[in-house]
Amino acid sequence: MASREVIVPKNDKLNVSRNFNLPHSPGIRAGDFIFLSGMLSTDPATGERSPGTMAHETRQTLANMRHLLESAGSSLERVVKINILIYDMLEFDNMNRVYREFFPKDPPARTTCGVQLSAGMKIEIECIALAGQEI
Amino acid sequence: MASGYGWVQSAAIRAGDYVFVSAVVAVDPDTGERLNGTLTSEAHRAFRNLQLVLEAAGSSLGRLVQVHAMIYDRIEYDALNRVYRQYVPEGPPARTVWSVRIIDAFKLQLDAVALA
Repeated sequence: MASREVIVPKNDKLNVSRNFNLPHSPGIRAGDFIFLSGMLSTDPATGERSPGTMAHETRQTLANMRHLLESAGSSLERVVKINILIYDMLEFDNMNRVYREFFPKDPPARTTCGVQLSAGMKIEIECIALAGQEI
Repeated sequence: MASGYGWVQSAAIRAGDYVFVSAVVAVDPDTGERLNGTLTSEAHRAFRNLQLVLEAAGSSLGRLVQVHAMIYDRIEYDALNRVYRQYVPEGPPARTVWSVRIIDAFKLQLDAVALA
């Protein structure tokens, strides 16, 4: 039977579900894959939300996602599927411009939707990644 | 629950170590009748239905890995969380809440992946 384990970021400030008392885990490792919860732009120094332009929020969220994946022995290179939720599809190109900096080669499969987000944030990102080699 | 209603999806598919569950809504598991109600009442019913599907596939709520909790309006986020935490009290699954339009005027729909 494949094992199931909660994944948390090494930086406690980025453990948003615990800090805001929300009923989800930052991520779950299940078998060969890691499933992450949707992530908003969070300041890694304070743990507060870090709203801003689409470019800013995309960059901060993907940087935090990299930290969380690396905390679990995985990496952005091992992401297989990403779901991106943005507040307005007009910002699609602004999101993509930053996005490609993080996935310069063989980017993961991806779906993007325009949706209603919490607290005036502009982007939320979730992903599924291969677990690291050592796990 | 899906069979017999002419739906084009299976209730769930088991593939390798995983069970992929089609979106679950608040229907009566015996009759298929829609139980439209408050976000709270629909969430309780949907979670119990999800439990039935998972257990039929040899899994359980405790083996959930990822959930997409879809709600009709962001304003119900806290109402969702209040019910949600009762069903996954320990080491809850990864989750994203999507605010979307849902078929048949349901207020909530749960899409899930679990370990078999």
